[in-house]
Amino acid sequence: MLGGVTTTLAISIISLLLGLIIGLPLAFIRSYEKNFGFLVDIFEKIFRGIPELVLMLMFYFGVGLFFPFPFGNAFFTVVFVLGLRSAANQSQIFRGAIRGVGEEQMVAGTSLGFSKWHAIVRIMIPQVFVFSTPGLGSEYALLVKDSSYAFVLGIPEIMKNADLVRANTYDFVTPYLAAALLYILLTFPIAAYFDTWGSKRKKKLGL
Amino acid sequence: MAYVMECKHLWKIYEQHLFAVKDVSMHIEKGEIKLIFGPSGSGKSTLLRCLAMLTPSDKGEIFLGDQCLTKPGVDLNKARARIGFVFQHIYLFRHLTALGNVELALRYVLKMPKEKAREQALQSLREVKMEEWAHHYPAQLSGGQQQRVGIARALARNPDIILLDEPTSALDPELIGEVIDTLRDLAKEGTTMLIVSHEMSFAREVADEMMFYDEGTIVETGPPEHFFNSPKSERAKKFMTRLIKRTHRE
Amino acid sequence: MFEFIAEYIPTIIDGLILTIEVTLFGIFAGLGLGTLLAIGDKYGGKVVSSIIRIYVEFFRGSPILIQLFISQYALPTLTHIPINPYITGFAVFALNSAAYQKGYIKGAMETVFEDQMMAGLSTGMSNWQTIRHVILPQTFRIMIPAWSNEFCSLTKSTAVLGLIGILDLTGAGKTMAGQTYRVLETWIVIAVIYLAWITLFTKIADIIYEKKKIPGIELSA
Repeated sequence: MLGGVTTTLAISIISLLLGLIIGLPLAFIRSYEKNFGFLVDIFEKIFRGIPELVLMLMFYFGVGLFFPFPFGNAFFTVVFVLGLRSAANQSQIFRGAIRGVGEEQMVAGTSLGFSKWHAIVRIMIPQVFVFSTPGLGSEYALLVKDSSYAFVLGIPEIMKNADLVRANTYDFVTPYLAAALLYILLTFPIAAYFDTWGSKRKKKLGL
Repeated sequence: MAYVMECKHLWKIYEQHLFAVKDVSMHIEKGEIKLIFGPSGSGKSTLLRCLAMLTPSDKGEIFLGDQCLTKPGVDLNKARARIGFVFQHIYLFRHLTALGNVELALRYVLKMPKEKAREQALQSLREVKMEEWAHHYPAQLSGGQQQRVGIARALARNPDIILLDEPTSALDPELIGEVIDTLRDLAKEGTTMLIVSHEMSFAREVADEMMFYDEGTIVETGPPEHFFNSPKSERAKKFMTRLIKRTHRE
Repeated sequence: MFEFIAEYIPTIIDGLILTIEVTLFGIFAGLGLGTLLAIGDKYGGKVVSSIIRIYVEFFRGSPILIQLFISQYALPTLTHIPINPYITGFAVFALNSAAYQKGYIKGAMETVFEDQMMAGLSTGMSNWQTIRHVILPQTFRIMIPAWSNEFCSLTKSTAVLGLIGILDLTGAGKTMAGQTYRVLETWIVIAVIYLAWITLFTKIADIIYEKKKIPGIELSA
């Protein structure tokens, strides 16, 4: 059953990174570019308003019929859906952090001669990360938990493995409790670590 | 006849070595206005909060009229209902309008019916000249206006005494005047007040007695003139000279 | 293209109603229980706080799917009392939501707390009166945005109810897809219904927030 842990972690971390790669730019677009901003809004609303499980079922069983290439693969579908969902969440997290860092930092940057996007990369992003740590910590925890949806698509992650053990041993208690414990061990310490790292860093930088 | 408020051998110690209140005994009579002043951190606010039964004291007795408040089994809420408190940082209830702030205790502590509570609350607001702003929220009022509502809130229950903890210290200079004017009006009406403040000119005008408080004790007491002309103790002398120097420089 | 859903409308409506029931029960029961947990954590002393902490860690640290399975399969095995899956569904979502809401409530309370408590006491109100008339009104208003987020999460997680045998909206979708083989269209329809429900509710929450907002305070995210 511990083998499932690797899969769970793989799903969570890949989705988190995917969310980061997409979410960070989206946050800046939403904050600084009025025109495309509303597109980002729609994107966020879609992922806020539709259950991940429904999206997974839709892509895997629905789209997968026409495009078995990526969407016939369960792992890909799960990461695809969770990654995009995470991007929507992270876009919000980073937007809050951008607001927290403040307009003045951008103004200071451009007054020194940086172009807008250069200032964003060199000045805003480092600070935004420090502000985002609690949000990212909980997003990570959320992804670990949502990876359990992969159970429905048959992927051998923690949940599925626990169920297999149950099916073989007819033990309805231990596998599930063990799985719960595994999840808690995966979510709690890391989310807490993110939090403390974040506040220490904030203090050091006087934020 | 008992004093309006009295404390005997009051002690309050923080963490074994911060003596905020060291064996303090004092009293105040009906209609009197007493002012406590002294260096920051001397424990003046703590003394006031202990008297108002907002912070528990460690030793000693506190009397409100002839009721001892420090005995076990006393209904603290009823006691606090007879004491009005005005905070340095105001602490208005942010989710209520000015009127709501003043009414709240009338309705739920004194259990007045809605219309009567409203009428009395409006009256209190009238006394502090904030009647026009009755339906504004604290966030929409200036610091001075908020504090006046705070005073109305403390007054509305017709308490036996009003305790004021540096009522103007947190306000911008130009807003202090309106609060002082309000307090002056209250003084004229004979309200019993115990004030912690460094508004010296106000003290001179209005206080019956001033108490110099330093490091947890009342070092010296006397009428205002006493302190302005010839304070006895070294510490009081030093404090007054520094204060006068500063006021002269301004 | 979507005419086939016509004969499944009753199933869909049944599923939707169940989803709505579980969601509303969960979010409001969670609110009540969460408030008690927050107050208990703040006031209850060390033992109570520790118990609450364990409770919250469990429900926030594990996926809802596991919580459902444990309630539906593990518990009855241990206690030899069979549990109706509907009860499991309602109860688990309520308990789960309470754990999350306790965090928001406690956070909002602490934004409000210390000075407002003292101010309340200074007017003669008791601890309980102050909590009721001063602290909680402010707490709930500050909380509305976080609460509407919780609503979204809750609704979305009800999609797994089908795995313990309850026919919710997603379950209705599975039935439709299985019987009509029009898989993609089915899921698009289901997705749109969820979207409509959530958007409607959050819009209402936003409007309420605007009207009841306390000028001057916001929950620092």
